[in-house]
Amino acid sequence: MGQNLFANYGEAVSAILFCIGFTNLLLQTNLIKKIIGLNIMDSAIYLFLAEKGYIAGRVAPIVVDNVTSTKAYINPIPSGLVLTGIVVSVSVTALMLSLTIRLYTRYHTLDLDEISTQLKREGK
Amino acid sequence: MFPILLSIFFPIAAGVFLLIRYRTPLSGEKRNTDRKALLLLTGCFLVITAAFAVAALLTGTGKDGFILFNLTKTLPVYFRIDSVGTLFSLLAVIVLPFAGFFSFEYMKHEERESRYYGFYLLAFGVLNGLCFAGNLITFYLFFELLTLSSMPLVMHSGSKEAVMAGLKYLFYSLCGAYAALFGIYFLYRNCDSLTFTAGGALRASAVAEHGGFLLVTAFVMLLGFGVKAGMFPMHAWLPTAHPVAPAPASAVLSSVIVKAGVLATIRVLGMFGTNFLRGTWVQTAWIILTLITVFMGSLLAYREPVLKKRLAYSTVSQLSYILFGLAVMNETSRTGALCHVLAHGFVKAALFLCAGAIIYKTGKTRVGEMRGIGKEMPLTLWCWTIASLGLIGIPPTGGFVSKWYLALGSLKSGLPVFDVLGPVILLLSALLTAGYLLPLTIYGFFPGADYDYGSLQKKEPCKLMIVPILILTILSVLIGLFPDIIASTIDMAITGR
Amino acid sequence: MNFICNFPFFSILLSLFSGTICSVLPAKAAKVVNRAVIIAVGLMSAVLLLYLLSTGEPFIYWMGHFPAPWGNEIRAGVLEAGMALFFCMIMYLSMAGGAHKLPGEVVESKHNLYYILVNLLLSSLLALVYTNDMFTAYVFVEINTISACGLIMIRQVGRTIEAAVRYMIMSLLGSGLLLFGLCIMYDLTGHLLMSNIKESVGLIMANGEYQIPLIVSVALMCIGLCIKSALFPFHAWLPDAYGYSTVSSAAILSSLVSKGYIFLLIKIIYRVIGFDIFNNTRIIDVLFVFGLMGMIFGSLSAIKEKDIRRMIAFSSVAQIGYIYMGFGMGTQAGMVASVFHILSHAATKSLLFVAAIGLTDVSGGSRKFIDLTGAAYRNKWAGVAFTAGSLSMVGVPLFSGFISKLLFAQAAVQVEGKMLASLIVLGISTVLNAIYFMKTVLRIYATTDEAAYTGITFRDMKAYAVTLVFFILLNVILGVSSQPVVNMIEQGLAMFA
Repeated sequence: MGQNLFANYGEAVSAILFCIGFTNLLLQTNLIKKIIGLNIMDSAIYLFLAEKGYIAGRVAPIVVDNVTSTKAYINPIPSGLVLTGIVVSVSVTALMLSLTIRLYTRYHTLDLDEISTQLKREGK
Repeated sequence: MFPILLSIFFPIAAGVFLLIRYRTPLSGEKRNTDRKALLLLTGCFLVITAAFAVAALLTGTGKDGFILFNLTKTLPVYFRIDSVGTLFSLLAVIVLPFAGFFSFEYMKHEERESRYYGFYLLAFGVLNGLCFAGNLITFYLFFELLTLSSMPLVMHSGSKEAVMAGLKYLFYSLCGAYAALFGIYFLYRNCDSLTFTAGGALRASAVAEHGGFLLVTAFVMLLGFGVKAGMFPMHAWLPTAHPVAPAPASAVLSSVIVKAGVLATIRVLGMFGTNFLRGTWVQTAWIILTLITVFMGSLLAYREPVLKKRLAYSTVSQLSYILFGLAVMNETSRTGALCHVLAHGFVKAALFLCAGAIIYKTGKTRVGEMRGIGKEMPLTLWCWTIASLGLIGIPPTGGFVSKWYLALGSLKSGLPVFDVLGPVILLLSALLTAGYLLPLTIYGFFPGADYDYGSLQKKEPCKLMIVPILILTILSVLIGLFPDIIASTIDMAITGR
Repeated sequence: MNFICNFPFFSILLSLFSGTICSVLPAKAAKVVNRAVIIAVGLMSAVLLLYLLSTGEPFIYWMGHFPAPWGNEIRAGVLEAGMALFFCMIMYLSMAGGAHKLPGEVVESKHNLYYILVNLLLSSLLALVYTNDMFTAYVFVEINTISACGLIMIRQVGRTIEAAVRYMIMSLLGSGLLLFGLCIMYDLTGHLLMSNIKESVGLIMANGEYQIPLIVSVALMCIGLCIKSALFPFHAWLPDAYGYSTVSSAAILSSLVSKGYIFLLIKIIYRVIGFDIFNNTRIIDVLFVFGLMGMIFGSLSAIKEKDIRRMIAFSSVAQIGYIYMGFGMGTQAGMVASVFHILSHAATKSLLFVAAIGLTDVSGGSRKFIDLTGAAYRNKWAGVAFTAGSLSMVGVPLFSGFISKLLFAQAAVQVEGKMLASLIVLGISTVLNAIYFMKTVLRIYATTDEAAYTGITFRDMKAYAVTLVFFILLNVILGVSSQPVVNMIEQGLAMFA
């Protein structure tokens, strides 16, 4: 078990990072910290994909010097997935940030619980 | 096929029509002409519906049954007329129109009369559907609809008390129906089909395998449907809901609609087959519950000063007579039970209408206030007296015949303890029945020496009220005078179809 | 390849691009485009459904004509086409039902933005329904989340923005888990196409190696989708999001968005993991337990609620619980019941949201129960529609809710270990449903003395009333002739395998 963890340290790190990001997104009350948690969580997954997609000693799948053996190259799909994922997470982050700005201009706080209590007080 | 469908869907359509056509309360100068039109329409609808139902019964087209449409692959909405259904349908066809005519006068001053008639017709159609249902799922469908269509009748006055009573009625009925529904699911698993078949529809293999479980199922179903029939421990809705409704509505509720619970019980027994249940703990527990209800209902009625409430408690007690007869599970007791369905139906309708007439004319609701009422409304009180005798079970009324069969069946049954205990409790309860019904007669006709005869005035209700009461009273006596005809019909209901 | 096979792709693309076009159009034109697109997609789905029913074979559409392990694929079977058609119907009706409220809820300049979001939502839903590629599914899950979030916050009040943030956070947690599970799955199997993954999963399960990571990845995906579809412990975001957004948004969110995720979960269960492998894991037990808890706690929260729209929203939690209970049974019958409930709940819940707005409008815009007293008299159409929806929710025969409960119960009695638990909870939840829906119905039909608010007549709300009628019809059709639908679901699920 311990050996496995050590051998796959990249995956282990990404899993730990994922947990850190997940808990931050879930438990932080500050919206900015939540968004940071979200980005940690997403990055952890990309780290995982990149780690799985890279094979030591191989190169990116661009044919150089007419080497056509698949053994020489890595699979390009994980890298493609990471790129797509980054696009998605960027747009989501942008949306979250814009929502945060909206809330901040209305309630002058970034604390979500504080905002909820203010809303309750408004009674609407 | 068509008479059956018409007898169900015509009144429903008519009821919806009335609800839409007269959605605003009648008022203003045209109130009288409008009201006449409304009554004329309602009267026609009632008569036509009754005619359709009778046609359905007479033509015999429904004997083979037909499927209207399929709910799911194996669960059709299926109609068939059998003799038990015929019996209950007869009761509905006679009581509902007469109580309807009675309401024409009784509801004169009500504001939202049209709503009452609309739901009244809806309930009529649903009742017909209930009687003609050919399988358990169709039956259940109409059972639920009956609750929903009769609830507005309970809540008609719109007072807080009435609304709460309606809610209580709704929750008790829905809970009971859902308990029964789960029984239906289990049954569905252990039966070949949910069509009513003579002698039970359980698969033999299922009985061997899940016997104990099926018994629990049967008990849950009996309890669930028993709610509608006001069986202890779920009887509390009945004395709350019946008195707050307008008198003709309580007559219908008490004499016909609660019988849906009885019909349901008969159907459940039919599904499981009496052979499966006889001698099991289910039978014992059920008999105990019915006997408790019989006695407790009479006792509570005896103590109750408000007339309509007293009648409602009496309904609780009398319905359990019927259930007791079914629970004993032999042919004689079953004959008694079915006979009592008719007897109690006519009697209770007559009694509630009498009470309604008295309340309508004098505004008095407590028995204690009604001294000398027989001097003011002799005809009404005579009807009350005769109908009461029927309920107590004095020959030659219908009640006597049914109770005779009930006691006889119980004695013949060979059940330990209950073969004797049953008739004893029935007898005790009959005494109590006399105790709570006859005081009105006694004080009504013989108000005593200190009664002020000077203030006496004739208050006999108009023909529209008195004629339905008379007819129902006469019917209650007639079925006692000619028990052979009734008994042979019921025999048919028991043995063959 | 038949021309019709292009339809799934067309419909996704059409709704996606029409969204873009809407951004430059004026609000009126955007509305027309939006309606036209929904109708066009609905028609295409209908044609596709007929085509698939006639061929009886699902087909796979290669995007860009790259063959299996490399290309991206779209797959269409009976269930997918049927779902797409149904989603279009509900979406059209929801949009039509909320159209008259839109000017009051959303700033004029943002109307075309609203239609962009709706079109985007439709395209992502269609993509979730049709796609055969896991990563595409993930991307469209995110698009779905973003557009749903936009639909919530387009009504600019503090509550909705807060609700949108909370919705976003929970959704992101869900999609994070989904993505992580997906990556592990990709790592284990080396494929992203559903059919290829399924082969590899079969091999892994047969080999015995890497079983635990596989199950972990399945569990992660399941939890992710559960969070997104608001299964019980993850439902905190739901009442605010549904309760304060615009009418159409609330109807669409509750009936379509969460259902899209559930449909994706069904696809994962059948097409990615394999039904039998999934059922051998403990995951279904977890789903089962949370489903049951959701059924009870959702209803309990709804009972406590004093705000009609939040009450309807909480009732969604309970209904989602039903669906997961069906998954948890681990049988084909349970799955069929769940899929049927997706349809039935979507039809009913959107009806309730749309009807509720009619009631609150004639009560001075207040959503508190106390102000809704007698609202059904002021807006009769909404009153009738709300009653119909409530009856369906409670499970009264003739409405779609009854059929889904019937199917659940039929499925439950086939599963020995889970039968009692599911039947008992089904019963409790039904009674709880009855309590809060009947309470509301009685409240809106209670009579008030003072005419505090003015009513509305048919002439002022023709489109709205017609929409309600269509909603009711949809409910009744599902309730009365459920058989073809159930057949179609069974056929579609068989095509999944």
